[in-house]
Amino acid sequence: MPSAPELLRSFTTDPDEPLRQGRYQSPLRDERLAAWLGASLGILFTVCFVTGMYSHIQQHPLTWLPIPAGPAGLFRITQGVHVACGIAILPVLLAKLWLVWPRLLSWPPLRQVADVVERLGVLVLVAAGIFMVFSGLADIALWYPWRFSFPAAHYWMAWIAMGAIIAHLGAKWAITRRTFARRDRRRLDEADPVLRTEAEPPHDGLTRRGFLTTVAAASGVLTAATIGQTLPELRDLAILAPRKASEHPINRSAADAGVVRSIRSPTYRLAVIGQVTHPLEFDLDQLLAMALHQAVLPIACVEGWSYSATWRGVRLRDLLEMAGAAPHASCEVVSLQRDSIYARSFVDHQQAHAATTLLATHLDGARLSPDHGYPLRLIAPNRPGVNQTKWVTEVVVT
Amino acid sequence: VKRNQGAGFWVSAAVGWLVILWGLRGLLHHHIDTRPAQLVKYVVAGLVGHDAILAPAVLIGGVAVARLVRGPARAYVQSVIFIAGCILLYAFPDIRDYAKIQHMPTALPYNYTAQSLLAIAIVIAGVALLATVRRLLRGAGSAPRSQDRPRSTS
Repeated sequence: MPSAPELLRSFTTDPDEPLRQGRYQSPLRDERLAAWLGASLGILFTVCFVTGMYSHIQQHPLTWLPIPAGPAGLFRITQGVHVACGIAILPVLLAKLWLVWPRLLSWPPLRQVADVVERLGVLVLVAAGIFMVFSGLADIALWYPWRFSFPAAHYWMAWIAMGAIIAHLGAKWAITRRTFARRDRRRLDEADPVLRTEAEPPHDGLTRRGFLTTVAAASGVLTAATIGQTLPELRDLAILAPRKASEHPINRSAADAGVVRSIRSPTYRLAVIGQVTHPLEFDLDQLLAMALHQAVLPIACVEGWSYSATWRGVRLRDLLEMAGAAPHASCEVVSLQRDSIYARSFVDHQQAHAATTLLATHLDGARLSPDHGYPLRLIAPNRPGVNQTKWVTEVVVT
Repeated sequence: VKRNQGAGFWVSAAVGWLVILWGLRGLLHHHIDTRPAQLVKYVVAGLVGHDAILAPAVLIGGVAVARLVRGPARAYVQSVIFIAGCILLYAFPDIRDYAKIQHMPTALPYNYTAQSLLAIAIVIAGVALLATVRRLLRGAGSAPRSQDRPRSTS
């Protein structure tokens, strides 16, 4: 029967020794493999962070940073990349955590002040990383087991995850530089005396290179099985996508929004009010009798699906001009739905005056269905789907 | 290569912790939306779920595979298990159909149990094809496997 100190020694690891030590003898436990996976995670999380910030700014506009109206498909690309990278992270994160898990059992856990700083940072990094991937994947599957607001929690945790990545970068900079520097770089199966890693011994099972290839393949399979929700060319491969983009998905039905009666009401009107010289009001027949314009624009959801369609309707800038709004006026488009944070959508002056920004009445040649925003919905270039307000009843010029 | 040392470590730690504190401030400042008390439960659950349940289970599973599967087949089995595990983890909420309470007619249009099995079957077929091609190439006198080559131990 081993004594308690012997037992402790046999399961714990020495933080000053290489990853492969003690009971953890897999030849895959190699500092350079960890660096490869860490660098991949750093890049993927950074791409998600940057594209996520763009999505946040789109949904929480800054007065000093107007969102340009072009290119029309920019948000479709950034959000498609955001969700695709978020899905691709899963295998990389799991592989990296498996590889470095014995470090969790370092004993003694803290030998110097720097250990406290580094290990606290790693704790935050792992916790935030797992939360970001879990909450993001749950969101695209429309699974909300929590009561906090997903966008708010995901946004602020992203800052925490990014901070932890920056802190971790300094701790692992020397190893990462050694792994990727062209000079003196060793093959993955060779020993590296500077890093004190051993050569890969002959063994059954995945080689170090094979392990990296497997992780890349797992990310590739998940990406290939889902990216078709935004890339039309790969739609046939999207067997695990949460939406079929070809079916023109929606995120809220008319019934769920409680507007089924009001959109069919004979008293329905569109009002153009606010800072205008001539407030206007139109019924549906008057709107349909106006000059209708056509635009091919994408609708891109924050959950990563998107599709392009031909929209027809009244140009928003024509309405603003008729009402006597200032040439650089912005506006808010207001929906008939009342109990949603997306019931009002801000349109900055660049998008409001774009030639392709419409209050659409038709989608792909047919009148809008109630679920797609009948009688009138906003469709503008380079905007998230949640801001393309449906069931529009007011334009408030600001 | 020493760890935790040099000005770079302390500078990145300082910058990183400033960003972390900015995020924490945001979580607390917007507490009506973020509900920090509940959020912490999810964060801790994720941490414990991985470090105390998933990671040890994977280690035990790895030992079992090493004992049950010997020879060149082990690498292919490990690849299939890893990729299939990732597919199932990703598809778990879709398979469970948690979104049904949202009443969205266009959400989760597939049978995700069947689709996940289809994806895993494609992965197995791909890995089996790769194994066969490699075996044929080796039989035709191509280069030996990398793990059979002599290695530098310097």
